[in-house]
Amino acid sequence: MVKYVLKRTLYMILVFLLITFMCFVLIRMLPLPVLPPEDVHTKIVMMRREALGYNKPYLEQFGIFLRNVLTRWDWGLSEKLYYGQDVWSIFVQKLPASMVVNLYSIIWTIPVGIALGIFAALKKNTWVDYAISTLTMVVISVPAFVYAFLIQYLLCYKLQWFPFLMKGGTDWFSWPMFVSMVPAILSLSFGTIAGFARTTRAELTEVLTSEFMLLARTKGLTKTQATVRHALRNCFVVIVPAIFGQFIGILGGSLIIEGIFGIPGVGGLTLNAINGLDYNIFILTTCFYTAIGLAAGLVVDISYGFIDPRIRMGSKK
Amino acid sequence: MKGKKLVALFLASVMSLGLLAGCGPKDPGPTPSQGADATPSPSQTATYEQVKFDGQKYTYKMGVSIVPANWNPHTYQTQDDSVPLDYITDGLFASLYNDELHPVEGMDAYKGYKMVPAMAADFPTDVTAEVKAAHPEFNIPESATSGYAWSVKLRDDLKWDDGTPITAQDFVDSLERVLRGELLNYRAADYYDGSYVVVNADRYSLAGEPVFTTFAKQGITYADFIAGGGTDAEVAVDMNGFWGVTGPDGFRSWGYITDDTMVRDPAVAEGEDEDYVSAKYLWDNYLGPDGGYAGSGYDLEYTGTISYPYEEGYGFENVGLFVSGDNELTFVFRNALEGFYLLSYGMNVPLVKIDLYDACLSEKEGVWTSTYNSNMETSASYGPYKISDFQMDKSMHLVKNDNWYGWNSGIYTYVDPSDGKQYDMYQTTDIDIQCVKEAATSKTMFLAGQLMTYGLQAEDFDQYRNSEFCYATPGQTVFGLILNGYMKVLQERENAADFDKATTDLEMMSVESFTKALAVSVDRDDMCASVSPARSAGFGLIGTRYVYDPETGALYRDTDQAKQALCNFYSVDPADYGGDLDKAVAAITGFDPVAAAGFFNEAFTEGIEKGYITDTDGDGKSDQTVTIQYALSAEASAFMEKTLAYLNESIGNAAKGTPFEGKIKFIFSAVLGNKWSDAIQNGTADTVLAGWSGATMDPFGFADTWTGDRCYWTNWFDAKSVNVTMNIKGEELTMTLRDWAECLQGNMKTVDGKEYNFGYGQADVETRLDILAKCEETVMGAYVTLPMLADGSMALLSQQVYYVVEEFSPVMIRGGIGYMKYNYSDTEWDSYVSSQGGTLQY
Repeated sequence: MVKYVLKRTLYMILVFLLITFMCFVLIRMLPLPVLPPEDVHTKIVMMRREALGYNKPYLEQFGIFLRNVLTRWDWGLSEKLYYGQDVWSIFVQKLPASMVVNLYSIIWTIPVGIALGIFAALKKNTWVDYAISTLTMVVISVPAFVYAFLIQYLLCYKLQWFPFLMKGGTDWFSWPMFVSMVPAILSLSFGTIAGFARTTRAELTEVLTSEFMLLARTKGLTKTQATVRHALRNCFVVIVPAIFGQFIGILGGSLIIEGIFGIPGVGGLTLNAINGLDYNIFILTTCFYTAIGLAAGLVVDISYGFIDPRIRMGSKK
Repeated sequence: MKGKKLVALFLASVMSLGLLAGCGPKDPGPTPSQGADATPSPSQTATYEQVKFDGQKYTYKMGVSIVPANWNPHTYQTQDDSVPLDYITDGLFASLYNDELHPVEGMDAYKGYKMVPAMAADFPTDVTAEVKAAHPEFNIPESATSGYAWSVKLRDDLKWDDGTPITAQDFVDSLERVLRGELLNYRAADYYDGSYVVVNADRYSLAGEPVFTTFAKQGITYADFIAGGGTDAEVAVDMNGFWGVTGPDGFRSWGYITDDTMVRDPAVAEGEDEDYVSAKYLWDNYLGPDGGYAGSGYDLEYTGTISYPYEEGYGFENVGLFVSGDNELTFVFRNALEGFYLLSYGMNVPLVKIDLYDACLSEKEGVWTSTYNSNMETSASYGPYKISDFQMDKSMHLVKNDNWYGWNSGIYTYVDPSDGKQYDMYQTTDIDIQCVKEAATSKTMFLAGQLMTYGLQAEDFDQYRNSEFCYATPGQTVFGLILNGYMKVLQERENAADFDKATTDLEMMSVESFTKALAVSVDRDDMCASVSPARSAGFGLIGTRYVYDPETGALYRDTDQAKQALCNFYSVDPADYGGDLDKAVAAITGFDPVAAAGFFNEAFTEGIEKGYITDTDGDGKSDQTVTIQYALSAEASAFMEKTLAYLNESIGNAAKGTPFEGKIKFIFSAVLGNKWSDAIQNGTADTVLAGWSGATMDPFGFADTWTGDRCYWTNWFDAKSVNVTMNIKGEELTMTLRDWAECLQGNMKTVDGKEYNFGYGQADVETRLDILAKCEETVMGAYVTLPMLADGSMALLSQQVYYVVEEFSPVMIRGGIGYMKYNYSDTEWDSYVSSQGGTLQY
């Protein structure tokens, strides 16, 4: 296992560097916004680009970037979106808002989603199953921003239960902050609940009809005992990686939901950086999410072995 | 071979005109005695019942899609970032409505504005003679006696929001910082480029940078230069000025004549001759000794050398701003300035709190950046408000700055026309800026009383456009339907292998009667209502926001000359309206289906005669469908789809019963991206709705835009071939349209041995208006573009507030936050909204 992890880690670093370099070069290859040659500011913009080293060969720029990050943890300054400000500080400052909203969301969506899936599977081919399955399909088919607007319209505007926008400040775990986050949490939740319900139902339905479940029942286990001890554990081979994925998604934020509810998170950072050609912000977010994604893949792969002892990745035996 | 191209892109034209407008002013500027009158005296204010602030909280709640991130006046780059500057900064002089306290002679109250000293203690004093004698480093022209140097005394109660006094030296240091070359501040160019800048600012800011000067200006020839030891490697061509292309490095206009780097000429279709040119090519073929323009004068005008690089280490002490006395500043300008331009543009310094500013500077690998004014801690205010809370990408909150001199100055006060009482400006106690990205969220928040304004979206117009709380704000641009009369290109397109001449025609577009028919086939008002309700019908080429007299705010579109030009073009006789020009203009619709039918019949006859179209079956109808291609830059938006559908329907209706019934069709082009304008210019696409905006205070700049050699809308219109005769003060004068336009910009023109110049300060404003209106009428008469839609927007205003002056003014807008009054305090408003069930009706 140790050898396997080391090998995967090495590959991960190589892939990370490759992706980083590609993104580093690609964003620099994007055409600059067309500035009128007569615009008096054009000359300053160009002089500043020259001073920032953006006209140097890409490899040289990449070398300087790596040196600064590895030796000083210096990701550079924002040039367009947050002029003159340290991009790492900006990212760290904006990350909590995204994380907290997503965290609140998954804390209740995963148990609810799994519970609904179990309930539907246990009540297979009854009206309960049909109702849950139909609702699940509808919810999955509709984009989250539609719920977001509906929730905002109904709960915030018509019923006036919640504020339209997330509260300002950094008291992330205060009650007023939580209340102001509820519409966003709900908007993020529906899709996740539906996803988990559908996956759980599908897996559990299959497992419940397996022969070993019949054997378990004939051995005298109650339906609940057989389901909890045997069926659910088998289902989790599929469900647990999805849960990992959700936790990783905590860090990602949501461009649209954050926009609708005024959440000052990282959701739109990468896209804004591309649009604004803010190289340093783009490369920081790219590196961060690339690293997280690669690490998550590794963790998920390793987790299979713990969930189902029959799975032995990388083993030659 | 292509003719010579004295190229002036639109922006350059407008900008340069704006600059010319500041040169050589003759109009009297404000004097100290006027200043004394301008500031209300106690006796004046005592004549009105004064109403003071009641101590309640009044919060102005704004929703913005992007919360400002950098409001440093030296580095901000976007309109979004500049929002706080409206509240936390101030000027030496301010524009106030011309109410009873600030009267303007001959103008009704609240119809114009008046400049008054704000941070300045009084109006400036002209010290040109003294400065010229004492400071040779400023190179004030020998002949100059006024307008170049002005001293102004500052108020002695100016403070930063933390109570630190603001001194004259702060102004000087602030200008030094913005211009400091090594900082590469984005806004530096605003203070060294153009005509409203202090002298030598460019030399300080650009120290060490090359400066190209033409041979003509240096008084030498290419031969002289070479004979003097110069080499070709030092000679350069002004590629933008001469040919309209940027230099090889993408932004400098000059290219060395030894450089054969090819750059794209957007005026020529790719694949045609001279679609790419280099500096070497222009020299070899046109401007050099063996080129076509050798000896013409153009060779000296568009070639030159680095006459001097900006001197290294040039000292700021040579820049035209210095402390000249106790809390007194002296400005020395590059050009003579007076009046509005002096007070608004010239005496404009981007003040920063120096100790804080310097602390926010950082240098890394030779690049300087600053975090000044990027969060609450690094922010400093000297305006009526200060930032009290800020969260990146989330919100900003401002409260009144108690240390602002304005609260006790007696300047910021007005008489409300609705009740005749005198109020202090800035009733707003707090400004709350929140990030609201989605229009749907803005709308619901507005209806719930949580935002002050809501900009109407397309789906809102039917419901709200007639609301008493709905305000229309005119835009600057008039969108016209550009037409294609480029016969050579139309014929080339028809000769293409895949073109079916039997069923399709393009050449009719070059027939004037056909374009006239198109012009009167569209009901502009109906078109606006159908395709873009926020806009209004556009009849002239110049919009309604352009001010021809900045001293009073008088609008070009309100002048008799401008109105008469419209009447002439649309064949509306004011005599039919009792000589009332306003009524005559109001009667213009631009829509005349009877006339359209006549023009279509006329066009059919001409088209048959010239062989553009056929009528083989003799049914009196064209065999071909005139297919007009609308240039698309991206996938067609809903607006474009509606526009095209409307044009097809409207023109189709007008053509009914004529030889072109069912034979005119507007279609979309392929997606052309950024090349859509090239396609319009070179005639490979036929039409598009497009327009220009320019300097608000300089409508005269449009004449140059319309008539330049590189006319933006098309290459086929040549203003040099159109002769225009005007009666100038009893004298019949004939010049080409281009010459009239150039003359209007201050260029001397000689007619029959007599020199004429109708530039700013060179001719009286009525004459200039006569010329501008005639130019507008002439260009419209060429049917290069058909004015269709005047840009504009509509927004709802919260019932919590109202504008003291509802009428829109290009300079005062509607008075801004200073003149905003409240119907309810915050507490009262909350109660009111609750009493309405949380949802307000507009």
